[in-house]
Amino acid sequence: MLEVWHLIIGNPILNVLIALSHFLGGSFGLAIIVLTVIVRLVSWPLTRRQLSSTKALQDMQPKMQELQKKYSKNQQKLQQEMMKLYKEAGVNPLGCLWPMLIQLPIWIALYQAIMRALATTPENLLDLAHRLYSWEVVRQAIPLSSQFLWLNLGQTGLEAGAAGLFLAIIVGGTMWVQQKMTTAPSADARQESTARMMTLMMPLMFGFLTLMFPSGLALYWAVSNMIGIITQYFVTGGWGYLKLRSPAQSTQ
Amino acid sequence: MKTKQAKIAFLVVTLLVASVLVSCIPGGRQLAKGWSGTAFHDGVVYVGTADGRVVAINSSTQSKQWDYGITPATTIYTTPIVHGGLVYVGTYSGKLYALSVAEGVDMWVRPTEGYIGAIVGNPVIADETIYISSSDGMVYALDTTRAGAQKWKSQPLADKLWTSPTLMGDALYVSTLDGHIYALSLETGDSLEWSFKSEAGFASSPVIYEGVIYVGSFDDNLYAVRIGGSEPLWRFAGGKWFWAAPLVSEGVVYAGCLDGKLYAIGAETGEELWQFESRDAGGKRVRIVSSPVLMDNLLIVVDEAGTVYVFDLDGGLANEGVPWRAIPIGADVRSPFCAHEGLVYVRGEDNWLYAVDVDQGEVSWTVSLTVEQ
Repeated sequence: MLEVWHLIIGNPILNVLIALSHFLGGSFGLAIIVLTVIVRLVSWPLTRRQLSSTKALQDMQPKMQELQKKYSKNQQKLQQEMMKLYKEAGVNPLGCLWPMLIQLPIWIALYQAIMRALATTPENLLDLAHRLYSWEVVRQAIPLSSQFLWLNLGQTGLEAGAAGLFLAIIVGGTMWVQQKMTTAPSADARQESTARMMTLMMPLMFGFLTLMFPSGLALYWAVSNMIGIITQYFVTGGWGYLKLRSPAQSTQ
Repeated sequence: MKTKQAKIAFLVVTLLVASVLVSCIPGGRQLAKGWSGTAFHDGVVYVGTADGRVVAINSSTQSKQWDYGITPATTIYTTPIVHGGLVYVGTYSGKLYALSVAEGVDMWVRPTEGYIGAIVGNPVIADETIYISSSDGMVYALDTTRAGAQKWKSQPLADKLWTSPTLMGDALYVSTLDGHIYALSLETGDSLEWSFKSEAGFASSPVIYEGVIYVGSFDDNLYAVRIGGSEPLWRFAGGKWFWAAPLVSEGVVYAGCLDGKLYAIGAETGEELWQFESRDAGGKRVRIVSSPVLMDNLLIVVDEAGTVYVFDLDGGLANEGVPWRAIPIGADVRSPFCAHEGLVYVRGEDNWLYAVDVDQGEVSWTVSLTVEQ
């Protein structure tokens, strides 16, 4: 099973990354950034659907608020009516999760590729030998330099100290902005509280993961988030819900 | 109040899930476990263990003579060197230990304060000086007559040095992972005028024979470079990296390759004389990670699956790539090994020492290198 994983996902990503860094003057950091752009381009159809859903949700807000007022004492009926509304508008409220789920195997493969390609231990370097394709560019690029800007891409955020903490803040911050742009406010105080918690927890979790995983992976997250913010800004036409106060807050 | 508690609980669960995620992803950072090999001196086998100790095994009694635990615990990639009554071992934590041969007591440790970069390549000794390549990219020369006082350290030569330096004349030759071979003055550590640059990095330590450096590269080639020359004499293409340093004897280069083959190559011509494929019971090729060793007329090769192959270079069918003996020890092998008077001493990845009797074609005795609780 593990070999199938390496054959289909792990080894292709590893070799593409190494080949990219060869073409980018030996910079593994730039290779990660270019790979991020490629991944975002490949997952663009999904992202576009997600953004359309966000836009549709945004447009549905007045109707949603009406429903919330109308059925404030009958939660079951409210849920039914909301689902009906989603169905009519052709919106899946959980659709935003798909791009993230699709990216999960890529994160894992990227994590493995970074650790292998940077050969942080002699065992990693030895293990790399039977994962490389016989491409000339790949063979000439080994071993890669782990230095990119102020970062050692093979080090975890914790090992990197202040630089790692700074990266964790960037990853967490950009994720918060991106989430905030897409999270529709709710008139229901409980729903609003849950949404706020999620908006806070995900960036916190990724900030924490940045401290635990190699900086190369955190670089992927940060760039991916930034691309997400930019595309969202242009597709949905602005900052979305970032500046919007929730009806629950407004009524307080 | 309840909401606040729920938030804290949610945060804790989230962080726990994140931690599990971190620990569950397989195939990422492999732990540095080390592959210290064996050295034979005066009836005793010296070896670094998987848990960072140095052990002396009396080969006659097949028992431990002493056992030195390095603290704080570390990993050992270097093979012990015995010289002038001391056993020298470099550690992954970046220290060099000099232990007494008789009792395994540390006589001195360098540096006394702090650490240099991880020591992965084997140090070499000449004229009471020990030369160490380090993962901080520098080579250090320590005076063994003055408790390892530093004589010099080189300029940084690369991002990191994981190969062993090699001595020839009044120079020290160092191959780097980024594809350079540097010549350093033995006296001062200054870079000499000559150096060699390859497009691909060098995977193995250099070996010098009659003025020619033989070194394995990440482009799957074995390079022969004449000292002073700017172009390689020849390049021999393998199927994978030549990870282990080759052995050169009587005009023949014996090179184990990660493609699972042992190649015998003419040292002058670079032409293949013969090859041998190492295969497991299922017919799958097995990598050769350790350097070959010569014992009299016998060429000894151990593959990663732990089969000891013996080639009789004088009278056997070695010229056709047929081994005289194939002796499985039953454990994986990545470490350098040594051979003496008919016995091959191999440290398995299972942290056992195997003494393989070449004549009998079997494992003669074994000793566990794990600390008994």
